[in-house]
Amino acid sequence: MLSSGKAVKVTIYLSEGATHHGVPVYTSILDFLFYRGVAGATVLKGIAGFGADHHMHAAHLLEVSDHLPLKIEFIESRENVDALLGKLQELCGTGLIELQDVVVAKPAQMTRPEPPPSASHLKIAGKAQMMCIYLSEEDRWQDKPLYKALVEAMRANDIAGVTVYRGILGYGAHRRVHKEKSLLTSNHCSVMLSAIDTADKLHALLPLIDKMVPEGLVVFSNVDIIKYAFRAGGGQAQPAEEAKPEAEP
Amino acid sequence: MKESFPARMVRIHFGEDDRWQGKPLHEAIVERCKELGIPEVIVFRGIEGYGSGSRIRRRGHWTFSKDAPIQVSIIGTEEQIAGLFPFLDRAVEEGVVATSAVEVVRYLRTESSADGAG
Repeated sequence: MLSSGKAVKVTIYLSEGATHHGVPVYTSILDFLFYRGVAGATVLKGIAGFGADHHMHAAHLLEVSDHLPLKIEFIESRENVDALLGKLQELCGTGLIELQDVVVAKPAQMTRPEPPPSASHLKIAGKAQMMCIYLSEEDRWQDKPLYKALVEAMRANDIAGVTVYRGILGYGAHRRVHKEKSLLTSNHCSVMLSAIDTADKLHALLPLIDKMVPEGLVVFSNVDIIKYAFRAGGGQAQPAEEAKPEAEP
Repeated sequence: MKESFPARMVRIHFGEDDRWQGKPLHEAIVERCKELGIPEVIVFRGIEGYGSGSRIRRRGHWTFSKDAPIQVSIIGTEEQIAGLFPFLDRAVEEGVVATSAVEVVRYLRTESSADGAG
């Protein structure tokens, strides 16, 4: 967060039509600044101007010019600007970048107060296994699609999460090539279920999978997980602490 | 019938517009895998992503733009995968190939159970 005092104002001059890998340069730069946590940035559109190539570009009524000048401005601390400058030079291509020492009289404040950090997301990192099950979409178990039955079975066994993917092309153990034909008739595609949990829990499911899957492939691989979970536990812990004094008497 | 063996999983990421000898690259890869006797191949179309060329690949809602991200997932023995790599070296112009060692359980329908199910 920017504080009062010395800072650097960065101004980038570009052409509106400049692109970087197919997207306008100013959106690339703005996205870059946004995700790098810059306090704020503004894109200004000029109505006329010229650049290094000395072509006059102006907004006429009759022709739509996409070469109008654009200016991106942001203010950050010296260290942050130094860290961003390398990538900015790469992104802005032929444009010009100007740095100006400024004094921040009053930093901008957020309109909404920042939520307390205790209510933020919880990050869990560790070792786990990924189980991928390859099936045909038409495989059935009892009276329902097999992939649906497997998701229900995993849910009942408290597997942390499972996702079903439908392939657009593929073949399986039965050596038939499945191909997506149209939106309505494609029910013969290959599907893959991907579940991630501890090795013990996934291997405990295998006897059940043995019974349910007549034909298919189950693949285990070791993965490192980083899990972002909303702290439901934190919400419960706080009332419990408050409740303690009441419970004692 | 059930069998269990160590294997290798290969994931290849590229764009739906990529071609090899006039046909879509993912179809060419599936055909080559079939020739090599690789047991399992599946092709997924992503809804958004970007690749090694940093193009944003997105399937348009109203256009027939087809440069969606494609992921091919291949499972085979070490020898089969090693046999696939010379082809990938030639065919994949721009993309990422990731491999990992995996443990596989394979279920096969026996003749009698296939009759029962069919």
